[in-house]
Amino acid sequence: MIVEDLITASGAQPLPDNGLLAGGVYALADAGDKSLTVPGGVEASLVVVHTRQDESKLSIELLDAASLSIVVLCEAGAFAEIDIAQHGRSACRLTALMLSSGELACNASLKGREARFDMNGAFVLTGSERGRIRVDVDHLSPDCSSITLVKGVASGSSYGRFEGLVYVAPDAQRTDSQQTSRNITLGADARIETSPQLEIYADDVKCSHGATVGQIDGEQLMYMRQRGLSREQAQRLHIEGFVGDVVMHSAVESLQEQLSARVGAKLENIR
Amino acid sequence: MLVVKNLHASVGDKEILKGIDLTVRAGEVHAIMGPNGSGKSTLASVLSGSEKFTVTEGSAEFLGRDILSLPIEERARMGLFLGFQYPVEIPGVTMANFMKIAVNEHRKYRGEEPLTAGEFLRLMREKSAVVELDPKLTSRAVNEGFSGGEKKKNEIFQMAMLEPRLAILDETDSGLDIDALRIVATGVTRLHTEDNATVVITHYQRLLDYIVPDYVHVLYKGRIIHSGDKSLALKLEKEGYDWLINDYREE
Repeated sequence: MIVEDLITASGAQPLPDNGLLAGGVYALADAGDKSLTVPGGVEASLVVVHTRQDESKLSIELLDAASLSIVVLCEAGAFAEIDIAQHGRSACRLTALMLSSGELACNASLKGREARFDMNGAFVLTGSERGRIRVDVDHLSPDCSSITLVKGVASGSSYGRFEGLVYVAPDAQRTDSQQTSRNITLGADARIETSPQLEIYADDVKCSHGATVGQIDGEQLMYMRQRGLSREQAQRLHIEGFVGDVVMHSAVESLQEQLSARVGAKLENIR
Repeated sequence: MLVVKNLHASVGDKEILKGIDLTVRAGEVHAIMGPNGSGKSTLASVLSGSEKFTVTEGSAEFLGRDILSLPIEERARMGLFLGFQYPVEIPGVTMANFMKIAVNEHRKYRGEEPLTAGEFLRLMREKSAVVELDPKLTSRAVNEGFSGGEKKKNEIFQMAMLEPRLAILDETDSGLDIDALRIVATGVTRLHTEDNATVVITHYQRLLDYIVPDYVHVLYKGRIIHSGDKSLALKLEKEGYDWLINDYREE
């Protein structure tokens, strides 16, 4: 149901057997291992949905000046890995949403000059779920840039984890990289750990990283309640905004409404 | 409408309000003035239900109901509005979405049906005109990236949307240039009726050129030490607080 809705909404076409993407939107659901290539200069979008507790590995190669927007939705305990190899001047935008237990590992390797990787992700965990998002970005060539922003929400007795690693090779000069992890825990039993790391071997680089874990701000709750919202409504609206930001910048625009609905349904379970 | 008797409140073990008496009737405008640190903002916070403060003595009735044990949101839905001195930014939450929930919660409390999308949009347009608020701001995140003046206008816009019975405006005039001050004050005046009441907390007489108070109270060291009509504000402007507070300094 979810899968069909998303795929219909995105207007996706079936994947070609040879794994070579022409332009347009493609969709993959619970596909196991796959290798795809975006040929030079081609612009494509890809929607990946995980609805089963399967292991999968998706390998994607972006040739020179190729551009790919990916939305990954993990709904049910999937162990998913995405490896992205980027050649010169290629651009990859990735939006990842994890709305249940599971693990998602994204590895981007920027092999050609001026490649760009831009990732926006979130996990929302409730009950006793356990989720982990790992993002490794390898800057292997000069003049590449990467942005990673992963948000986490954990409620109940759930546990979330972010692991980020930005590696800058010795000759990857003028690398521009940002890595941010922002997290909110709700209630005393929810836990989030975050570990953003940098490993830099070049000397002319601009790299920043930061992480926060906290509770919802009391002043914000007070403000919303003074306007008549109950504590629960205020809390939910705040979280909706926090995660909604990721959806609003989703890499595949036609999917925003569907993704908002999925996030909204998930937030119903927050206690 | 509001009857406050001998109200004492503390934060931690520091007593800030030391016996406030205040009665506000429908149709009235009250101004509360006083030097910094006298407890003006605390009074506003305590009446609106902030959990930062503990009431240790006294009572506060709003519309005939003891409100001190009610949660913030219930006081709000009854019609008590607080204009914040420092409006809070809420990233990712649009003004429109926020106000829609707020307005409909107020309606639900009064046993009214929620507004349709069309009715709500019309209301927003109508009310943003009251304070000359750029309608584009309603699609932005609450107070995020708003200028100081926009934030204060936005407070009065929300007041217009929620049509409170009692509005307590905590230093709504601070940090406003003269144009923004005029717009905010005119907005407040236009919203004033015989059925509602306004309490403005302010440092400066200049706000009271636009919002003419029926009563002016001077708060000092947690007590109202003097009350009068609007001429009191003029006298304070000219002579300062010294002539009033000298007697209280030693305490």
